[in-house]
Amino acid sequence: MYLSDGIIITPIDVYKTRRRINRKKILKKAGVYLFLCIISFIYITPFFWILSTSLKSETEIMRVPPTFVPQEWHFENYRLAWQRGSGNLGLFTKNTIIVVGIIMIGQIFFCSLAGYAFARIKFPARDFLFFLYLATLMIPESVTLIPRFAIIIKMGWIDTYTALIMPYFLGNALGTFLMRQFFFTIPIEIEDAARIDGASSFCIFWKVMLPLIKPALATLVAITLVVNWNNFLWPLVVINRESMKVLSVGMTTFRLQQTVQWNLLNAGVIISLVPILIIFFFAQKFFIRGITFTGLK
Amino acid sequence: MTIIKRSQGVWKDYLLGYLFIAPNFIGFFIFLFGPIIAVIYFSFTDYNFNSAQWIGIENYIKMFKNIGYWNSLIKTLIFVGVNVPLQSGIGLLVAIALNQKVRYKGFFRTIFLIPWVCLPISIGMTFSWLMQTEFGIINQILRSLHLSGIPWLTSQKMALYSLILVNTWQYLGFHVIIFLAGLQSIPNHLYEAAIIDGATSWKCFWKITLPLLMPAIFFDVTMNTIYTFKIFDIAFIMTSGGPGNATSVYNFELYKQAFTFFRPAYGCAMAVILLLIIMGVTILQSKFFQKKSLL
Repeated sequence: MYLSDGIIITPIDVYKTRRRINRKKILKKAGVYLFLCIISFIYITPFFWILSTSLKSETEIMRVPPTFVPQEWHFENYRLAWQRGSGNLGLFTKNTIIVVGIIMIGQIFFCSLAGYAFARIKFPARDFLFFLYLATLMIPESVTLIPRFAIIIKMGWIDTYTALIMPYFLGNALGTFLMRQFFFTIPIEIEDAARIDGASSFCIFWKVMLPLIKPALATLVAITLVVNWNNFLWPLVVINRESMKVLSVGMTTFRLQQTVQWNLLNAGVIISLVPILIIFFFAQKFFIRGITFTGLK
Repeated sequence: MTIIKRSQGVWKDYLLGYLFIAPNFIGFFIFLFGPIIAVIYFSFTDYNFNSAQWIGIENYIKMFKNIGYWNSLIKTLIFVGVNVPLQSGIGLLVAIALNQKVRYKGFFRTIFLIPWVCLPISIGMTFSWLMQTEFGIINQILRSLHLSGIPWLTSQKMALYSLILVNTWQYLGFHVIIFLAGLQSIPNHLYEAAIIDGATSWKCFWKITLPLLMPAIFFDVTMNTIYTFKIFDIAFIMTSGGPGNATSVYNFELYKQAFTFFRPAYGCAMAVILLLIIMGVTILQSKFFQKKSLL
């Protein structure tokens, strides 16, 4: 702290004030850490508890008071959970990866194409079209659910990957918005230079602009991944056949098949979370950037 | 000559622009705009996934006479009304705490964000187990503290609030990130200036942080409201709308009517009303917050 001139301060005064401020500061810091630790505890406990339950024997689960760390470690629960429903967990994971992977390719391509157009190409009604498109983010999926389901029936796509992929393959407003924001940050001179060299617009987009926004593409991938991996309502409606189900829905049958064996169920839950959690831990910053740029859930 | 060339270039540009956005807009017309028109039309018919005959407002009359419909609307409004302030409020608190130059900020942030990437179904199953009345860990802890266990998911009174708690828990990290970004955009020199002028940190919060954070708060609350209206997954997974009709939120009721009871026309009428509600709420919120931020 600096005080203005004209006031005489002795070193002792400074010392006393500092100590008072310090004590207050330390107290405040302690409060902040305590608060954060309590919240973190609420976040870690559920995961710890399902992990613990997944390794227990069936009798140990029902013990009162409960044991926090399993007395015997039953790793075979994971094998049993995996084999439940004739290895469906693996099948659901495979389906999810295929569906989400294809959706992702489409979204990356079409969102960046449209994002580039909205950011850099001038054409009539551009901003109107952009905001019209953006406004669709507001509309809950359930509003359009029934007619969309009707389309899928008409096309004979029930129980196919196509049904799961098509509505999302051609890009969406969120990704387009994100890419548009990123294209704005690239200096226009780079583009002009390429244009003078005689490159076509698509070539500029593909060869010059896309490589420049690689971090943005990673962010788009992260968002698309979370949204589509966790999508629930649509796969629930268009898929009936067990073998075509994705993880987000397939787990329901996993539950129903059991005469609630909580240890196996928890093992299943953990297995289902492993892929997405691994990706999340390695690519965290892209997920976080995705939220701050788009505000999606 | 040059003028003609340039105008040709402009037309080429226009065409290119439309070409680049064409795939998105094809998707938009087939899977969003078309269905919205269709849903409005079907709501006035006896549509049954096959044929549709115009029957006027019969679906709406049936709907407004149905107790189940009003129940689902009220349950959703309670869900939104409790969840939004709770989630955005705690999110703001956590963000402010994280913004106090704490160590391990990244670690805390990660912890709060983990449930956001998790499958809703897995989170739902986890909490079904944690909130289990007899052996669930929450009730076991409560009992060890000599409190009585709470029938989280089995009592008609509690079930909806239990779902709100789970939902708040799952998506809190998302709101923390939004607020954190807002807080970090406030320039530090404002605080330095205020402290030199002798402002307490409490005063700093009310006079600097809060007013400057208003856009972030508006954004978050609006998004949160819209997202909470979409609530479906956990009601389907954890309670299937039960016990009784206690957690039969709007989208669950819509799904049930259309796909379980096979009344898609009725479901369309519900969808139309939901669309109107969402539009109304968004307009109201933007008006309210505009006034606030002017103050």
